[in-house]
Amino acid sequence: MLATRVFSLVGKRAISTSVCVRAHESVVKSEDFSLSAYVDRRDHPLPEVAHVKHLSASQKALKEKEKASWSSLSMDEKVELYRIKFKESFAEMNRGSNEWKTVVGGAMFFIGFTALIIMWQKRHVYGPLPQSFDKEWVAKQTKRMLDMKVNPIQGLASKWDYEKNEWKK
Amino acid sequence: IARQRHQKRTPDFHDKYSNAVLASGATFSIAVWTYVATQIGIEWNLSPDGRVTPKEWRDQ
Repeated sequence: MLATRVFSLVGKRAISTSVCVRAHESVVKSEDFSLSAYVDRRDHPLPEVAHVKHLSASQKALKEKEKASWSSLSMDEKVELYRIKFKESFAEMNRGSNEWKTVVGGAMFFIGFTALIIMWQKRHVYGPLPQSFDKEWVAKQTKRMLDMKVNPIQGLASKWDYEKNEWKK
Repeated sequence: IARQRHQKRTPDFHDKYSNAVLASGATFSIAVWTYVATQIGIEWNLSPDGRVTPKEWRDQ
C-alpha cells in the first residue's frame, strides 16, 4: 500500500492504535513503557493495543480472513480472534481468589506474635503487682465496699443480696 | 452457545496454602492469647460481683 493511501485512512480514523504503533516503528524506535499498555480492567474495557503484538503466520492469515464476511468464520476462529485482542475475559479477570484467607491468617499470626511479646514483657519489664490485688486484700476490700453500700442503685452494692448474705443471682 | 472452559488455571499460592495459613494463624493466635490472658499473672481487675467472697476487714 502506498504511504499516501495509508494516510488517507487516518482522517477516517480507520486504523487501530496497534497498527499505528507498528507503522511508527519505521520512523523512530519507542521505548515500551512510553507506549499504551494492554490492561485487563473492568473500567478500561477496550485497551488501545491488542494483547498479542506479534502474530504468527496462521494468526496473520486469520486476521486477513477477518476482513471478509464474519459469517464465514467458525466458532474456534472467532475465539482465536478474541484471544488475539484480549488476554482475559471479563469473567476471568473478575474471578475471586483465596487471597483473603492468606491475609487474615497472616494478620492473626502477627497478632499472636504480639502475645509472645507481652509474655516477655511480663517477665522482664513489668514490676510486681501492688498488694491491693492480693486475693485476701480484694476480699476485704469487697466487703468494705458492700458495707459502705457503694453504688447501691445500679452498681456493686445493688448486686449483693443483704438478706441472704450472698451475691444476687 | 456452549460455554467453553479455557485452560485450567494453575493453582496460585493462595489456592495451595491459604487454608493452612488461615487455620494455623487462627489456632496460634487464639492459643497464645488464651495463655497470656489467663496463665502469666496479668491482673484484669474484673468485677468482684459473683466472683469474690467478701471477708471481714475490721480489726478485731
